[in-house]
This record gives sequence, structure tokens and C-alpha cells, in this order.
Amino acid sequence: MATYIIRRVIWTIPVILLVILLIFSLMKQIGGNPFRQTERAVPAQIQANLERKYNLNKPWYAQYGYYVKDVFTYDLGPSMRLRNRTVNQIVQEHFPVSLKLAILAVAWGLLIGLPAGILSALKPNTLFDYGGQLFSNIGFALPNFFVATLLIYYLAVRNDFFPTNGWPTDFWDFNDKRIILPSFALGLFFMAYIARLVRGTMLETMQQDYVRTAKAKGLRWRRVVMRHVLRNSLIPVVTAVGPLIGLVITGTFVIEIIFSIPGIGRYFVTAVGARDFSVVMGITVLAALVVILANLVVDILYGFLDPRTREARS
Amino acid sequence: MAVQEPRQAAVEARAGVVHETAPAAGEAIQQSSLWQDAWRRYVRNKAAVAAAVVFILIVLYAFLIPGFWIIPGIWTDWIGNVDPYDVNFAVANEGPSAAHPFGTDQFGRDLFARAALGGQVSIEIGFAATIVILVVAIFYGGISGFVGGALDNVMMRFLDALYGLPFLPFAIITLAIVGTVNIVTMVIALSIVSWFTDARVVRGQVMTLKQNDYVRAAHAVGARWYRILGRHLIPNTLGILIISMFLSLPGVVLGEAFISFIGLGINPPDASWGSMANEGREAYRTHPITIVVPSLFIAAIVLCANFVADGLRDALDPRTRET
Repeated sequence: MATYIIRRVIWTIPVILLVILLIFSLMKQIGGNPFRQTERAVPAQIQANLERKYNLNKPWYAQYGYYVKDVFTYDLGPSMRLRNRTVNQIVQEHFPVSLKLAILAVAWGLLIGLPAGILSALKPNTLFDYGGQLFSNIGFALPNFFVATLLIYYLAVRNDFFPTNGWPTDFWDFNDKRIILPSFALGLFFMAYIARLVRGTMLETMQQDYVRTAKAKGLRWRRVVMRHVLRNSLIPVVTAVGPLIGLVITGTFVIEIIFSIPGIGRYFVTAVGARDFSVVMGITVLAALVVILANLVVDILYGFLDPRTREARS
Repeated sequence: MAVQEPRQAAVEARAGVVHETAPAAGEAIQQSSLWQDAWRRYVRNKAAVAAAVVFILIVLYAFLIPGFWIIPGIWTDWIGNVDPYDVNFAVANEGPSAAHPFGTDQFGRDLFARAALGGQVSIEIGFAATIVILVVAIFYGGISGFVGGALDNVMMRFLDALYGLPFLPFAIITLAIVGTVNIVTMVIALSIVSWFTDARVVRGQVMTLKQNDYVRAAHAVGARWYRILGRHLIPNTLGILIISMFLSLPGVVLGEAFISFIGLGINPPDASWGSMANEGREAYRTHPITIVVPSLFIAAIVLCANFVADGLRDALDPRTRET
């Protein structure tokens, strides 16, 4: 197990380097450098000094090297538009907001999606099962901006159950009504996804020989489900959560704009509009790191849960 | 070839190729039986049939309705002006009526016509991007699976790394590099971050096919390469490709809708369903239909694509049928 984890962690390093390289070279394609874009004529000497200060006179691979060093020492550079702010400050201010939103959305997904999927599989082709499937198909198809708008319209505007927008300033403040609608709107997709996945894998597991054996030797059905079916069906769910993290990031962009939540996604969209490319690049690299780390954690968890994986890979 | 036929059939029977009807003598009938079987299985699935019908209706609506305003006279004389670009503040923010079946937006543009226009853009982007994704996936996965060995290893590790790319930021950066947003650049931006899974599927498929008993058996009984290709490899891959096309369509359509919805996609006066929803969001409290119409179209096309993909999978690849 230890070698499996070490192997997996070491493999993450080239992945990170490659992903940063891809983002870096894409950003280079945008062309020019920030100091050429100014309308004021800058004397040649000052221009050269500026370029030297920010290593812009070096070849691209050296610049890439500096950028990688900066990422690993957590120094994402200054914002190109806001003189007095660094990308680090922006990230520190806005990233925890998005993180909390994403965690709450995944929590919704597990809280409702898991039981719904399990119950559907235990009572297949009943009214509950059909209802669950209908719900999961709708949750799958409805764009989350529409869900969010409906929630705001019916629960915040027409009826005054929830505030329409905003977000608590304190990360640990979970006792605020404002967090409910955005996280639910973002989480709906995961509920649908997880419910469908759990239902499918459970129905498959229940047809396995070992389940039949357990039933045949007289084990009570409840115990068969708890010990044999559930444990084996929930492993694929763990694998599914990894790629879902990437989708959560995608979703937060939209949800943050609708609910006016000061998260990193909304800031990203503003930064793209303002062509503040150091911020755009910093946030993209950060999002990539989150996705890569999530995949790493899922892989390691998977190794714990299913011994066959770590043998196959080591 | 005729002498070979019984042996061929025996080999196929042993390899698990099931013909639901007894194959009649003569090649032409047998050739079509795979697709006939698939068709029969598909038609039996009511949800998939309904989804396919709705899907086709939406496509027809998006691509045929504009014909009525292009041919002058027909539509205009009938119920009035329905040019989707025509601004008329006198009728702004109207509800559904005979003249405007879906009402009008805040500029007085007819939503029935604009939803068709937006549907064209969304559907075109959706299909173009899935085709680009498939082509890239076939090349990448095909080479990786066919060559195998060290090259396969390197290509697959590279693909693993690409999974680290965050979908939306990367697509948005791609759009920022190109500078302009139109259907072509949108297709590029969406396909550049969406082909990874399909490439894996193609690679897996190619690797299994290479090793498959019925391919080797057909080879052993003396089938020519074109027969193996035409009778075994292509039919067995084509199904999977059609399925994965409908599987990636929802992701692409939703991706376009998200980007347009946050204001970085298709620009007015052009429209996609996503950009219509973005415009509708400004007035949803007083006039919700402007966001409801495009959103329901997106949901309908995504839902139908999912059901069609499910139905196609059951029809073309019965082995993976869900219980």
C-alpha cells in the first residue's frame, strides 16, 4: 500500500508540470506582454528594465521555469489591472468561498443522492423507483442556471423564504440561510448523478453469485445488503466523485454569478473580461491543481477500498 | 464466397454473434440483419423512440422555422413580422399570443423565432463539436490502441495528465486567445477539453477488437481483410461511435450554454439558447418566459440525447444492457 501511495504521489508531479506547461503556453499565445499594452509611450530603457524585472526578456522555457517555481512557492504574481493587489490576495479572498460552495453541493449530492439511489435499487420498478428515475433524469438535463433562477423566483422573490443573493463572510458560518439555495442548485446535478450511479451498481451487485450465496445460506436480507451489496456498490461512487470535482468548479462559475457570490469563479469571469491575464492564469492553475489533487485522493482511497487496484498498478 | 458462408455462420454462432432471425441463404439479407436487429430492439424501447421523435422535432423546428421568414410573405402575411433580429419596442415583454407563440423579449423580438435561431446555433455547435471530438478521439485512441506498447503507454499517461485540465476555464482561455467568439471558435474551445474520455473508449475498443476471437476466427477460416473490416470491425465500432456521439452531445450543449450564459459566448444580436437565457435573466422577475423558453429547450435536447444514447446502447450493444 505504501509503495502504491508513493508511486501515485510521485506520478502527480509530472502531471502538474505538464498541465502548468499547457496553461502557460496557451497564455503565451495571447501574445504581447502587459507593458506593451499601455497607451503611454514608455522610454525604451524603462521598458527593458521592466521586462528584465519580470523575466520577460528570457526565453519561454526559462519563463516557464520561473512560473513553476512561483506556483510551488505560492507566489502567483501581481494583478495586471489592479495595481495594489496580488493574485495571491485575490485567491485567498475568493477561493474559500467557492470551496465552501462546492463542498456543500457535494454534501447535498451525497445526502440525497445516496439514499435515493439505494432505495430505488432495493425496490426496483416501484412508484418510488420511477419517481427517483424521473427526478434524476430531470436533474441531469436542466441547466443549473435555470434551476437557480427558478429557486430564486419561487423561494426568494414570490415567497420570502430565502434571501435572493449574498454569502456569509465567515468560512465557518454554516448557520446562514444564504448558503442553502446556491448549494442546492449546484448540488442537484450530483444528486441525480449519484442516485443513478448507485442504483445501477447496486442492481448489478445484487445479481452477483456471492449475494445469491449469502441469501442461500440463510443470511437475513438486511445483513446481505449491509455487508455484501452496499460495500461493493459504493466503491464506484468514490471513483465518480473525483471527476465530479472538476464539474463542481464548472458549476460554481455559473451559480456564483446568479447569486452574486464573491467566489473565485465570478472573479475569473470578471478577470477574463478585463483581460487581467495573470489572474486568469493563476486561477486556472489553481483549478487544475484542485482537480489533480482530488483525483489523487480518490485514487488512493480506491486503493484502500479495492485491493485489486493497487496490485494491478504496482 | 458462397461456399464459405456456412462456416462463417458457424464461427459467428460459436463466437456469440446472435442472429435473432435465422439467417436466410444469400448474403444481402445477412448483411442488413445487424442493423435490422438493432432497429427492432430500438423500436421496442418506448422512451427512446419518444426521445428520438422529440429530438427530431426540435431540430426541424430550429432549422425549418427560419425558412418562413426567409421566404418573404408566407409568415409575415399570416401572423406578422417574426424576423428574430427585428427590434420593436412597441411589443416588448409581451406574453404568449397568437402572433408571438412564446411572447417577446425586452427588445420586442419574437421569442418563437429567436428560440429557433438560438436552437440552430446550439445544435450546430453541439453536433460539430461532437464530430470534432470523435475524429480526434478516433485518431488518438486508434493509434494508441493499434500500435500499443511504449507509445500506447506514453499516450495514455499524457491523457491522464490532460484530465487535470479544468473544463470551463480552459475553454474560456481558448476563446480569449482566438479573440472572437463565433460558432467555429466555440466548437474548437469546447472540443479541445472534451475528447479525453472518447479517446479512451476508442482505444479500449480497438484493443479488444484486435484480440477478439471472432476476428481471429474469421481470419482463420480464410476471410479476406476487407471482409473482416467490413463485416466485423466497422459494424462493431460504428455502434459505439454513434452511442458516444449522443453521450457527448449533452455535455457540449450544456458547456456552450454555460459559457454563453456567463456572457463570454455567442454575442447579441446573434443567439444561442445559452445567450438567450443570459438576456432573459435580466428580466426574469417580471417576465420569466424569456429565460424559461431557452432553458426548457436545452433541457429537452439534453434529456432526449441521453435517452437516445441509452436506447442506442441497448439496441447496438445488447451485451452491456442494464438490468
